[in-house]
Amino acid sequence: MGAAFPLAVLALWELLSRGGVLAEDGFSRPSRFFVAGAKALADGTLLAQTAQTFGAAAQALVIATVAGVTVGAILGLFRPLERAAQLTIDALRPIPSVALIPLSLLIFGFSREMSAAVAAFACFWPILIVTTAAVRGVDPRLIEVGRLLAFPLPKIVLKLALPAALPGILVGIRVAAGIAIVVTVTTEIVTNPRGLGYAMTMAAESLQPDLVWATLLWVGVVGWAANWALEKLPIRR
Amino acid sequence: MTRRLATLIAPVVFLLALLYAWTLAADAKLVNPLWFPGPERSFAKLGEWIATGALWSPLASTVWRMLAGWLAACAVGIALGAAIASSPLARRLLQPSAEFLRPLPASALLPPAILVLGFSNAMIVSVVAFGCVWPVLLAAIHGFGALDARLVEVARLLNFTPWQRAWKFQLPSALPHIFAGMRVSIAIALIVTVASEMLSSQPGIGYLMLVAARAFRSTDIFAGIIVLGALGFLINYGTQRLEGRLLRWR
Amino acid sequence: MLEARGLSVSFGAQPVLRDIDLTVAEHEFVCVVGPSGCGKTTLLRALAGLTPILSGSALFKGRPVIAPQTELAVVFQDYARALLPWRTVAGNVALALEARNIPASDHAARIAPLLAKLGLSGDGDKFPSQLSGGMQQRLQIARCLAQEPEVLLMDEPFGSLDAITRQQLQDEVARLAKEEKRTVLFITHDLEEAIYLGDRVIALARVNGNLAGRIAEIVDIALPRPRQQLATREDPRFLQYRHRLFRHLE
Repeated sequence: MGAAFPLAVLALWELLSRGGVLAEDGFSRPSRFFVAGAKALADGTLLAQTAQTFGAAAQALVIATVAGVTVGAILGLFRPLERAAQLTIDALRPIPSVALIPLSLLIFGFSREMSAAVAAFACFWPILIVTTAAVRGVDPRLIEVGRLLAFPLPKIVLKLALPAALPGILVGIRVAAGIAIVVTVTTEIVTNPRGLGYAMTMAAESLQPDLVWATLLWVGVVGWAANWALEKLPIRR
Repeated sequence: MTRRLATLIAPVVFLLALLYAWTLAADAKLVNPLWFPGPERSFAKLGEWIATGALWSPLASTVWRMLAGWLAACAVGIALGAAIASSPLARRLLQPSAEFLRPLPASALLPPAILVLGFSNAMIVSVVAFGCVWPVLLAAIHGFGALDARLVEVARLLNFTPWQRAWKFQLPSALPHIFAGMRVSIAIALIVTVASEMLSSQPGIGYLMLVAARAFRSTDIFAGIIVLGALGFLINYGTQRLEGRLLRWR
Repeated sequence: MLEARGLSVSFGAQPVLRDIDLTVAEHEFVCVVGPSGCGKTTLLRALAGLTPILSGSALFKGRPVIAPQTELAVVFQDYARALLPWRTVAGNVALALEARNIPASDHAARIAPLLAKLGLSGDGDKFPSQLSGGMQQRLQIARCLAQEPEVLLMDEPFGSLDAITRQQLQDEVARLAKEEKRTVLFITHDLEEAIYLGDRVIALARVNGNLAGRIAEIVDIALPRPRQQLATREDPRFLQYRHRLFRHLE
């Protein structure tokens, strides 16, 4: 049932294109771009580009998780520190991730690391916030037990606080995973390193409208599939 | 009294301490000064932009493109959401498509949009609007359909027409959801606008920063980051205050 | 005024009410009492036009009730859900005036005396979330009175309130009903409340192990008015009525 509407749109598009109403060079048509997409899938280019994009996103997620969980755990355990840091967090968090693209370009040039750095910044904040809240929500008696047993701070964090806070943290990581993919694709589109975004921009520049729309459709499918897969993960509060 | 003072000052001290650490690191050449000029030079560059007036034109371009796209998306999203919510058939037909399109990065629309509309303001505003419409639309569909069943009965008992019910009951009840969607989408609007400017070389803060990157002018980059961060902060703050006023009853 | 003739209601295959015959005369205060699940709320909703009837008829002034109408006002038990949280106290009362197409210029003049009657005079600008449970229920009653209804249908209105507030509201409703000469149909599971308030008490029960509710007994209450919480409840006739009706509650 839900497929009815998109199919109708595609059919209308095909008709309008064939009828000359929609300009061919800009809009292409479904019959053409599905073929172009199938070809790109078959010869492996689309998959290689997808791997590049996902690779950068994964890199970003790992960096953001390590940094975010560490800082979040510390802030979660020490309330005064969290309060002191709040202004800084509120000042840095609203910086749109794209604002860091020029800086990242300067440092890393056109590369996977460039995308990963920008995406890591974007992913850091949700993980930080969720971890802080989750660690703060851990039963204080658990931490007391650690102190009574004379655990050094890292041990308290690793063995007591983090495992207890894990469900909440995982929810934050799941949100960040979605952000990682979106930001990675965005940086690629803007700057043309390898990856799906690059594929689209190159296709546009070489005036291959079929490939542009085909890749867009692929990006949509991949994004939706990634989202769907993330939601299926057994991560609940 | 000193406790209160401490809680007020501590965050400022923290932030200043970080800035100071950045300055030290830059001066001691711990980080590449080409990449990370200290905060002093970055703020100085920003001051220069303001003094010479070089800031205002690109800032204005960025801001009006963002607002135009966002407002258009909100109007469409709310109207369409109200219409779709009123028909279970429309909901089943259209909601899956909207859910499918929501995770699509709006910037992915840039290459096709450039193909169709070329490098232009219209292209940027369209892409921004497209990216912004989904959170608002989905929030509106959810909000308009979520009227408490008891209130539906109250509306029936008072003999209101469907129009009156939509205006007096469904719209106010949907407003908190719609505002949440609008808040999400204005964040998207800022990102997509800056990204569009970078890709299409249209005058704006984004383009300004990209040019600076190519010319290795990192002070300009940081000045731009500060401007965009401030813009993001103001947007957050503004929308929160507005929401607080309009949704006083919560 | 309000009549049920051979009224039967089912939810799908499940019978809820069978063959209900009752009449509520003008200015009468009739209480319907019964254990949980006997169908008394369903009876009220059928008479209000909210729930469809399987067979028999519900009549208001001789004409069948097919849909809700403003002449039949309903006071719900879950008062918080029946009020508009985004409107002030005055705004909620105004809703009923809007339903009757009374021009906005007349609203203030009509709302003030109603609020005074229900003891809400200083609270016109407050939101429902700022009121206590008892005051919220008063607000719902005020809105229903603003409808100028012919019949007030009250569905266990005090069930969610504490004992003291309940007693206060019992007396207020009894007073208002007499002052304004309203016809009232009052549903409750509290036998003493029913006897205290009613001119007549109708006991509804599932008779002989039947699934559907039927009328078990109708008792005229010959206690003097105005009723008093202490004196009336200690009256020997009160206790007799209690004994008579008690067995239907089991």
